[in-house]
Amino acid sequence: MSAKESIGIRSFRFLTGALLIIWLVLPLIPLAIWSFAHGWFFPNLLPAKWSMRAWEYTFSDTAGVIDSLWLTIGISLAATVLSILIGVPAGRALGMYKFRGKEFVELLILAPIIVPGIAVVLGIHSVFISMGLNNTVTGVILVHLIPTLPYMILVMSGIFANYDPAFESQARSLGASPVKTFWYVTLPAIMPGIIVGGLFAFLVSWSQYILTLLIGGGRVVTLPLLLFNFATSGRNDITGAIGMIYILPGIFILLLTARHLSGRSGAVGGFGQI
Amino acid sequence: MSDRLKIFLLLAPALLIIGLLFFGGLLIGLMRSFNYMPVIGLTDPDLSAYKSVFTDREFYLSFLLTFHIAFTSTVISSILAVGAALLLRRQFVGRAVVNFLFQLNLTVPHLVGAIGILYLFSQSGSFARLAAEWGMIARTSDFPALVFDPYAIGIILQYVWKEVPFIGVIVLANMQSIGEDYESVARSLGASRWQSFRHVLLPLIFPGMLSASVMVFAFTFGAYEIPAILGANFPAALPVLAYRKYTDVDLAARPEAMAMAIVIAILSGVMIYLYVRYSRRRIRT
Amino acid sequence: MTHVSIQSLTKVYPGATEPSLDRLSLEIESGELTALLGPSGCGKTTTMKMIAGLLEPTSGDVTFDGRSVLNDKPEHRGVVMVFQNYLLFPYMSVADNVGFGLKMRKVDKAEIDRRVTAILEQVKLPDLGKRKPSELSGGQQQRVALARALIVQPDVLLLDEPLSNLDAHLRFEMRDLIRSLQQEMGITTIFVTHDQEEAVVLADKVALILDGRMKQYDTPDAFYKRPIDESTARFFGGQNFIQGYAENGIFESSLGKLELPDHSANGKGTLTFRPENIRIATDYSQPNTVDATLTDRLYLGTQTRLKLTLGNHNIEAICNPIDVEGLTPGQNILVTIPADVVWLLTS
Repeated sequence: MSAKESIGIRSFRFLTGALLIIWLVLPLIPLAIWSFAHGWFFPNLLPAKWSMRAWEYTFSDTAGVIDSLWLTIGISLAATVLSILIGVPAGRALGMYKFRGKEFVELLILAPIIVPGIAVVLGIHSVFISMGLNNTVTGVILVHLIPTLPYMILVMSGIFANYDPAFESQARSLGASPVKTFWYVTLPAIMPGIIVGGLFAFLVSWSQYILTLLIGGGRVVTLPLLLFNFATSGRNDITGAIGMIYILPGIFILLLTARHLSGRSGAVGGFGQI
Repeated sequence: MSDRLKIFLLLAPALLIIGLLFFGGLLIGLMRSFNYMPVIGLTDPDLSAYKSVFTDREFYLSFLLTFHIAFTSTVISSILAVGAALLLRRQFVGRAVVNFLFQLNLTVPHLVGAIGILYLFSQSGSFARLAAEWGMIARTSDFPALVFDPYAIGIILQYVWKEVPFIGVIVLANMQSIGEDYESVARSLGASRWQSFRHVLLPLIFPGMLSASVMVFAFTFGAYEIPAILGANFPAALPVLAYRKYTDVDLAARPEAMAMAIVIAILSGVMIYLYVRYSRRRIRT
Repeated sequence: MTHVSIQSLTKVYPGATEPSLDRLSLEIESGELTALLGPSGCGKTTTMKMIAGLLEPTSGDVTFDGRSVLNDKPEHRGVVMVFQNYLLFPYMSVADNVGFGLKMRKVDKAEIDRRVTAILEQVKLPDLGKRKPSELSGGQQQRVALARALIVQPDVLLLDEPLSNLDAHLRFEMRDLIRSLQQEMGITTIFVTHDQEEAVVLADKVALILDGRMKQYDTPDAFYKRPIDESTARFFGGQNFIQGYAENGIFESSLGKLELPDHSANGKGTLTFRPENIRIATDYSQPNTVDATLTDRLYLGTQTRLKLTLGNHNIEAICNPIDVEGLTPGQNILVTIPADVVWLLTS
């Protein structure tokens, strides 16, 4: 519907668009500048001196940022793999079958997406004490499943709802074993869902703060914890550098999956968690 | 293998994990909030934690503040998101850039956004420096308090920054799948531009927008790190207060922390109810 | 009563090299029911949207009673468009849908209720006002969409494929309803369709659009009897074309000499005739009787389609099954192409 679009309307759109662009990148700019600043005092609009000091510190062995980076990647990968292994079967059950109590099961799985982590993590903490899981990487990975798993299930049930199981029957009737059927027929068909769901589950785990803080008890220091500590202790330059590193996986995943982010796919729902 | 058994086996691991971790955590929290924990010898449930929480002025201030943060952020984000979606479904110079930044923004963790807002709006932040440059202020303390402030302006700004793209992307997808023909019908039947938005497009996108808004409300009500970075010390947002109580040296404060966690959980329960109601309705129409 | 004139209407979408609609001109008399006929993608819906003001033409003009309406906003044009998929607002009741246009005009509630009840009765859907659109059948939704358009008493009514989503038996019912309402209210009506049957059944006049250009604008039967060219004839199911030379009422081709209905045309041309007008003959007594070989036959219940070879031409004939009983493929037969059913296309 584009009858009679005046210059006024067009320039209004252009201006609001420009405003939106500025507003969207604005908070990231001081972070980037800080990471290259060598002291940046009020009221200077830009740092008086530039330096790579923050970046050198960040990548040095003593800072522990690199260790923390690998730890965070490891935790997020583990949480993602577990979510895929557990989430794919559950997604199949919810996407392909109708059964009594399905709505209730969906509600159970949906609940952790909406109920904030703080509401459950305190209780988990007091149980994990007795199980020896507090302050361990295992405990942190387990607790990360609370936000990542429901999300993976949601994505996979959407994939399986559009999946025709007749392909599997066809493969079986052509002589494929159940394992081969899964490997050659089912897996290729659901692979796009697993990849997109997995990448976003990774991001959800990557962005967890309070769950890691409580269950990790300060011993499991992931990147966001490090970032928070530097931010609240006034080391703005190092905060800037870590912040830049911290947003990289998201940008990378975005470039890989931009077309899946249309909002029409259930995948976007997970971004409420990041 | 019967279908029922198959479904059960497929769902079992997921339900086990979610049941044990999520509902287990919730249940333990609930029990501890009533001072009931047979394993450690607490066998007489009582309401003392709730009594002390509900008689504490800080809790009410904290609850009100948190509600204000969640409600204001959600309303502002929803309105701006609809505006942004209306803009993005039209062709204009720079649309691809806005689209990309919308998606980029979705992947940036809230924590980074919070730090960015801190560096922009604090009294020695970029805007304060700009104000000084233009001679509007002389000292940092002349700049209005936009972070650590009693109205939680910084926190709300951060949520608006993060959630406009979130709701916007969902609403835009909604608009695109609805298409423009309904509005064309309305225009052809005599509705003005505004009327066709108000009476036709808005009711059509409302369920989708509401379910996204519900997620945003629940998130902003329960998030810890954003108010921890940008919020004032007193009153603190409810999740911050609960965390402080929980990690207090005085272990007696733990049941109070649990009680606050339960308050947050109950509020999100209400949100789930709304979400389910409206997402179902969206499916039906 | 509104006279609609479309003058050299052209639409080139941004980025497209070919126009979607190329200089369409059409005069539609007051109160007439006109069909825009053409294959999908030929620019029909584009034309409708431009008339309705929902799309801006690249060039050309649309006038109502001589006055250009291009600068009128869609809501002030006096045109209502009914979309193919009805597009009833799903969250509103039937009555709210029908009353929508009046509500937008700020007519008071009681008056809206009164007129909604009246129009629902006219489209034979009384008592359904409280239902939701999703609870209606396709035919009922179509009537609600029609009522929603008619209630605002438009000067011009536009219908997009009004019968195409309906079952065969509903089509006739809807056709009668549309025709009677249109005549009663005297609304100049334009509808688009890709289905020649739909156009012929419903319209006073048909405009055939092929490749964005208008081919022929005529009464429905003219398209069968006097198509303007081969593509027009083919669009209406014409199969039989024989190249040759016309002189003094005689058409010479590889089939020999055939009589023409008159002497008007001379020179090179293509002779065409409808499959249903060919007759099986037993001898050469009738003029225009020629030899043919039956190559295939297809029994369709009420009719039989024959594929014939006449010299080097492949011809199709549609016959009454009784007349062609016993004929088998490969058999040589005689067919008559009566002079009064042939039509000469000259280039």
